[in-house]
Amino acid sequence: MNALILQQPTLTFRTAKGESRCQRTIAEDHAMTGNHPGFRVVMKRITYEPGVARVTSQGCDLTVGGHLAARDPPDDLIHMLGEGKFGHKTHSARASRHGLEGTPLSTGRDSIVGMNPQKVKNRYDAVIVGAGAAGLSTALGLYRALEGNRSKSGLSPKVLVVSKLQPLRSHTGSAEGGIAASLGNQEKDDWHWHYYDTIKGSDWLADQDAVRILAEQAPGIIIELEHDGVAFSRTEDGHIAQRKFGGHTADYGGHPVRRAAYAADRIGHQILHALWQQCLRLGVEFAEEWYVTDLVVDPPADEETGGQARGLIVLDTHAGKLQAIQADNIVLCTGGAGRLFHTTSNSWDLTGDGMALALQAGLQLEDVEFIQFHPTGLGHTGILLSEASRAEGGVLRNSQGRAFMQDYAPGHGDLAARDVVSRSIMAEIDAGRGVADPSDPDGPHDCVWLDMTSIDGQRMTALLPQVTETIHRYAHLDPTVDMVPVKPTAHYTMGGIPITDRGRVYRWQNGHRRIIDRLFAAGECSCVSVHGANRLGGNSLLDACLFGTRTGQTIAAVISKADELNDMTDTSPLTQALQKRQAFLDELLTGASEAKPSEPALADDQGEASDPGDEASLNNPYALMGRLGRLMEEAVAVRCDQGSIEKGLLGLDQLEADAKQLRAHSETAVLNQEVTAIMEVDNLLTLARAVLNASLQRQESRGALYRSDYPRRDDEHYLAHTMIDAKEDVSWQPVHIVDMPPKGRSY
Amino acid sequence: MTSQSTGSDGSKAPAPDRDPRPVTFRIARFTPRPQSERPARTNPFAKSNPFATAGNRRARGRRWTQEYTIRIAPQRTVLDALLQIKREVDPTLNFRYSCGHGMCGSDAVLINGRPDLLCTATIADCLSASKTMPNVYATPGVANGNSQAQQPPAFRRTGTATTATAVSTSASHSDSVPDSTATNFSATDPTETGTATKATSHTDTPHPTETSGYAESSVVEIRPLPGFTPLRDLIVDTDAMFEQIRRFKPYLLNDDSSADSSQAAQTKAAKAEPASEYRQTPEELARYELLSTCIACGLCQGACPIYAGGEAFAGPAAMIAAARFINDSRDSHRQERLEAIDQVDGIQACQSIRACTRPCPRGIDVGEEMWKLVEAVKE
Repeated sequence: MNALILQQPTLTFRTAKGESRCQRTIAEDHAMTGNHPGFRVVMKRITYEPGVARVTSQGCDLTVGGHLAARDPPDDLIHMLGEGKFGHKTHSARASRHGLEGTPLSTGRDSIVGMNPQKVKNRYDAVIVGAGAAGLSTALGLYRALEGNRSKSGLSPKVLVVSKLQPLRSHTGSAEGGIAASLGNQEKDDWHWHYYDTIKGSDWLADQDAVRILAEQAPGIIIELEHDGVAFSRTEDGHIAQRKFGGHTADYGGHPVRRAAYAADRIGHQILHALWQQCLRLGVEFAEEWYVTDLVVDPPADEETGGQARGLIVLDTHAGKLQAIQADNIVLCTGGAGRLFHTTSNSWDLTGDGMALALQAGLQLEDVEFIQFHPTGLGHTGILLSEASRAEGGVLRNSQGRAFMQDYAPGHGDLAARDVVSRSIMAEIDAGRGVADPSDPDGPHDCVWLDMTSIDGQRMTALLPQVTETIHRYAHLDPTVDMVPVKPTAHYTMGGIPITDRGRVYRWQNGHRRIIDRLFAAGECSCVSVHGANRLGGNSLLDACLFGTRTGQTIAAVISKADELNDMTDTSPLTQALQKRQAFLDELLTGASEAKPSEPALADDQGEASDPGDEASLNNPYALMGRLGRLMEEAVAVRCDQGSIEKGLLGLDQLEADAKQLRAHSETAVLNQEVTAIMEVDNLLTLARAVLNASLQRQESRGALYRSDYPRRDDEHYLAHTMIDAKEDVSWQPVHIVDMPPKGRSY
Repeated sequence: MTSQSTGSDGSKAPAPDRDPRPVTFRIARFTPRPQSERPARTNPFAKSNPFATAGNRRARGRRWTQEYTIRIAPQRTVLDALLQIKREVDPTLNFRYSCGHGMCGSDAVLINGRPDLLCTATIADCLSASKTMPNVYATPGVANGNSQAQQPPAFRRTGTATTATAVSTSASHSDSVPDSTATNFSATDPTETGTATKATSHTDTPHPTETSGYAESSVVEIRPLPGFTPLRDLIVDTDAMFEQIRRFKPYLLNDDSSADSSQAAQTKAAKAEPASEYRQTPEELARYELLSTCIACGLCQGACPIYAGGEAFAGPAAMIAAARFINDSRDSHRQERLEAIDQVDGIQACQSIRACTRPCPRGIDVGEEMWKLVEAVKE
């Protein structure tokens, strides 16, 4: 807990004292000055001067861990130091404020303090878990809404963004194609058409009231993103450029329309960086590389309520220490769960953490059986080749060279909805017309060709730089002359934590939505539901940014309205959760000495260490994650039936048994990635069970879920959202039909 | 497309690059001592010793070098290899990785003496580079004359006595022998020798028999990115870099909006249709578009001999972040930004060595951009 390295606060202080070569610990400075307010002033002044000699460096970092532990300086001192007590990488809001106007963000609300690490020490107005598009949008929405009210209320929030990655590493940065909005910059467009396309794309499973918000407010979000600095590609007259995308049509299913605003093919990178940059500007506080292990939710008092969120248990991976965070408002923005599958476009970190936290806290998930497979993952890697590759002229071909999509989706062809294209590809492969990945010519014929040779080379470089580079680098092919092997890759989880269109998490109970107080969610880990059974291209970034912003605004309103502190003095539920997790962590680490040692200090027993690498005997989370990925692919990837699902459930039992045996192989807690990976595997297994059971329960085919034993959509029984909890109880929530009665969905 | 141009000629790569073969990965490892065992007992003045090389802030703990020999196709990436090691050999090896395709910027390390991303460097690249370009990183003018192939930008530590270690490719024949004594890199740091000698690593050789068939062994050596403090194994502390990026206000400041951002937010909340985008022509976009693709991976910082931890120079990544906004026609603070970087440890510290250009995974000619900044500041 006390192992922290404070950076900017200490450094600026040091500079201000005119002793740039001298370094003192906080405790010593405190002893010398004995003057907290002075401290604050100094820090402020210095951070307003970007030109002062900056002394931060590896050589000068200040480690205060020992001193805090040894001397117990007054908590208000630590408090002033930009929340340094919250750990290693917590950047002070104040310290990060580079010369912009603004008041210090400390509320003076003091935490419940005790030096016993088992006690809850930290308290925030809001804690946002995850720092991708949704998390950062939530933070910005919250700050901006409060800024608007601040003159009235005088409130300044204490907000922390906790993320298991440095924010710029978030997977939002890998989104390529575009973000949908009916700006109509290049041809006439109408948000009603976007509304319709999204609902049709969802196979009529989306809640229409939520989709209406999405489509109607999309242009505003794009403008806001542009103002935040996103380097959108431009039209000749300087407007945001837009391109065609699968499923985007004019006149309710008519001709394709240019609706996806883009930045070459790196829109996600641009959005992620712009949002992060604006967060720096507003002084948002980050705790990076902290992993949330538990969400603590009080059970509902009665049937009419949903309970309330208490707080979080987090693992500060840098310190290797657990701690409890008490939060008046918690937002889960942890992204998707592509790592359920072996072939996925998702990063290694998308392990469904937020969804599993909700399940483990006794909450439900909505529509988790719907997982979108992007049609064009690159061969064996699963790395995404953007839909833009087809929008710009790429064509899918089978082993006979036939452009088969015209057979499956006349009129739309290669730009039909993603689930349609993915299933068509699998149908071709199943019919024996697949091709082998050239990097593994003897391997299975489980790919088809993406033919981009008709795209002019210069145009390809200008409009698809990322796609071209990925093909060069990971397939060792030149797309201007070579055909590229592609196969469907797990891409997006349509379902997730059920939320209202204001971002509030709820329980579905006896036919009612019961709000869980103080708990919110946004982005891919949540389910509003605007994507229904299949997400329309360009709507994921939009969902994350738009509903993230709305969630932030909702919390701002909650904070502003709160007349007095919520009574959260009883921290025993959090303390219990912390103790439980601590025991778990201790067990993982103390088991390390029994496992095969890898570190030389422990490696005296060479006989044991040189045990040949028997892969089967090495039970570690990385191997287990690989086994789970293959199991899930056989069970439910792209298509499934009762037999495949039940087989998957059986296999899951074995994996769960193996997961219980997992122990770390190193006993050092600091930056022990294996410890995090073990908890990620637990999360994936929890979620996999929910996905399989929900798939089993839905005896129809709709959108991304294709059950070969129930190949038709069944609106009579299943025009409803699946609500499943960790006990595998399933209930059904009717779809909100507002404007558009369900129709057929042909592409 | 970028420096990783092997992709294009990879299509004509001989078949052997597709076939798995034994490759040895020699990895610098470090396990920090738990804080609780030994509270930092600091001389408050010690760390600011101007003669202490930045990046030399040695956390206490065990350091050793470990070798892993696995079978893998040379056209796979180094990340593929390390993940295979995690899965099949040693789950305790720690290194950052996330997206796996060069977009997240989390996996910058030093591979065979060159700063590179684990997920974009193919094993074939590394092997050929280590043979044909033993000292590519010794930039003219700053090389210390001691061409140690594997010593990371050796010029960085001109003041430190470095002990040449047996790491040349020829020496690595021994890699085919199980339990060969691994090279002890800690020898380059006299202060750590005590622990290091104990730390003769054991070598994991899951396929010892298969390695013997190859007369010429293949070694890929991986160390933490220089200029950054190692925290554990290949994981380094990136805080300093991000602090330096933050220092130059890396966010769009358009006075139209910044003046009344709160009002704008409110009108936005009230109305679905806000005003409109800031206009920008494709030509204006082109002036900063490539700069905006920076993923803050830190490779340029690791390559820069002046940066060396940031004591004397904020570093190329911070300059690129500043340049991105200096060249954005929507930003209203070009002049202030130019003044902000015109500091002793800002652009003035750049010596135009241009070591920063080569490793950029986004293809930004960092050295040239730095030079443009120098010129812009002069105006």
